Amino acid sequence: MTRDRILTAAAVGILLAFLWFADRTFSAYSIRILNTIAIFSIVAVTYNLINGVTGQFSLGPNAFIAIGSYTSALLTLSPQEKAASFIIDPIVWPLSVISVSFPVSLIAAGVLAGLIAFLISVPVFRVRGDYLAIVTLGFGEVMQVITNNAVSITNGPLGLKGLYPHTTLWWSWGLCIFTIICTVRLVNSSYGRAMKAVREDETAAEAMGIDAFWTKTLAFTFSAFFAGVAGGLLAHLITTISPSLFTFFLTFNLLIIIVVGGLGSTTGALIGAVLFAWGGEALRVVEEPFTLFGYDLPGIPGMRMVIFSAILILTMIFARSGIMGRREFSWQAAIDLGSTLLQRIRRT
Amino acid sequence: MLKLVSMLSLLCLGFAAASWASQPIVIGAYLPMTGGVASYGQMAWSGITVAKKMEPDVLGRTVDVRLVDTKSDKVDAANAVSRLIERDKVVAIIGEMISGNTIAGSDHAERSAIPMVSPTATNPIVTQNKKYIFRVCFIDPDQGRIAAKLAKDQLGAKTAALIYDISQDYCVALASFFKNEFTALGGKILAETKFKTGDRDFTPQVSRIKSVNPDIIYAPIYYTECALIAKQAREMGLNKPILTGDGAQAPELLSLGGSAVEDVYFTAHFHKDMINTTRGKKFLEQYKKETGKELDAFSAMAADAYFIILDAIKRAGSDDSKKIREALATTKDFEGVTGAITIKPDGNPIKAMVVNKVKDGAFVYVTTIKP
Repeated sequence: MTRDRILTAAAVGILLAFLWFADRTFSAYSIRILNTIAIFSIVAVTYNLINGVTGQFSLGPNAFIAIGSYTSALLTLSPQEKAASFIIDPIVWPLSVISVSFPVSLIAAGVLAGLIAFLISVPVFRVRGDYLAIVTLGFGEVMQVITNNAVSITNGPLGLKGLYPHTTLWWSWGLCIFTIICTVRLVNSSYGRAMKAVREDETAAEAMGIDAFWTKTLAFTFSAFFAGVAGGLLAHLITTISPSLFTFFLTFNLLIIIVVGGLGSTTGALIGAVLFAWGGEALRVVEEPFTLFGYDLPGIPGMRMVIFSAILILTMIFARSGIMGRREFSWQAAIDLGSTLLQRIRRT
Repeated sequence: MLKLVSMLSLLCLGFAAASWASQPIVIGAYLPMTGGVASYGQMAWSGITVAKKMEPDVLGRTVDVRLVDTKSDKVDAANAVSRLIERDKVVAIIGEMISGNTIAGSDHAERSAIPMVSPTATNPIVTQNKKYIFRVCFIDPDQGRIAAKLAKDQLGAKTAALIYDISQDYCVALASFFKNEFTALGGKILAETKFKTGDRDFTPQVSRIKSVNPDIIYAPIYYTECALIAKQAREMGLNKPILTGDGAQAPELLSLGGSAVEDVYFTAHFHKDMINTTRGKKFLEQYKKETGKELDAFSAMAADAYFIILDAIKRAGSDDSKKIREALATTKDFEGVTGAITIKPDGNPIKAMVVNKVKDGAFVYVTTIKP
């Protein structure tokens, strides 16, 4: 136990040292990719909590990311910027004068997303089955229509722009580490075990005295809170948001991340997020014109997506439960793996 | 082994020599080649390709255009611009086709002081408070305003009804700009009906419009819905003229709408019959020859973005991004494919708008309105 703690602390230390190094020497392009990885990790890890660990099929993270993005963006924008951007209808009163610091806006983003998730979950979790998927899918569409048409709050289809790029490596990765710690602690607590019990058999879980309703609500609200925070980070990374950013495609991508990583595994969600955010950029190479064995091949836009689909299909055929399955990373497993490898090398 | 090494080093030398021989001027293009609006990106890229064949060099150096796909997505658009600037060291950037992605991409270009020219991002916010961001198209408020003027003055409408797609930013924006201008001109909006992308039955909206009996129907929407609405309106006996925007002008409108879309008016960027510059005529011919297709608005606009950057490099006399920016900002009466372009200090062009209509199953050019 102590050994694992020391190793974890060392790993976090190495990661921080790497971030410090990256922050000073990496190009803005690489830093942007690192930030994207962190943000996708936050959403994927917490989305996995409701979909994988609790086994409730939610299709709503795009809505909660949207709520978080808009809340945080509207709170950090300066009154002058808002006045200049809102050209269809002027912005409503309290928002037109408010301007708070970035951390406060992130907390507000998470709290609002969590609160709305809580309000949704109360009616939805009274019934069992696929209703959560239907309601969250519908809620995502409702958010689209609201963000497009509540012009005096969201600036409608024109979106918000001119956000200050607050999202640095420290913010994104700091919150990412915080999210992972919170999620892992929650999954390993009695609440986490209750969530797993609900996933396996809701009736049996209730017979054992678990309040399935509150367990599901907790997972859903927790997940929405962090999706909201990630939304705030995302808005301040790309510095502009508009309704089209938060379509169902966003949820779809997240679903791919957690399914490829392994539904129910936090480690898997992390691996999936890294593969998705970093892989997407790394694979740009295949879309550029390049020379292979003396042949000039023209770049084919969309090749990345073809390779991604191929990976997805291969995962579905050869590793049906994703890269990690339901397994988690542990230091013991890593050490065991290392020593077997060493022995094999010695033998040969 | 030695042989292999020497061969390899020779190979490396060969590559190095090749790259020394010609130092091309690198321009970046970030376009939606896949995803939701892939067709825009593909049309634009074919336009840029033909334009590059027509004017392949500047300042005695060849021009190299690097294409990066944005997947029609904001996060990818921002990544694409970072990549073009940091990896490909581009001196100027063409893109994106739609406003949301252009805003996402423009932030990094502005910070890195690399000029960017968008072919068709019409959202007014794109160039607002940005020194390095330009475009060669008119903006949504202008399109809405001119549509209102057209309806009021030329089509003689006193009352109008709106029908638009609430899930499309472009549609909502145009509708609201039209509404403001039309009311300001003394007109009256009798009904405002809405629908969502993917809807196929417009009976409730059409019957509502029919009950208020407006002089004109303003429908700033995309071609599929426009054709369906025109059809259903004519079937229900609503025969008022329909006015729409540039998003509806696609060949599919004619095949879907048939005789119902006769006399539908458009405010648009471009019609091939309006071409009156030498460069435009030459480009029209070359485009036909290279691709075998009729020239469309997106290809023409993208070609203009390319030509205007080349012109700026020529006038700047250098490939320094800051100088290119200065030259772009002082572009005056540049003979582009889609007409004379003058760039205002805010990065937007002064450009005439085209009015087209459907007649005998084809798009015909009606008039040009100066802003």
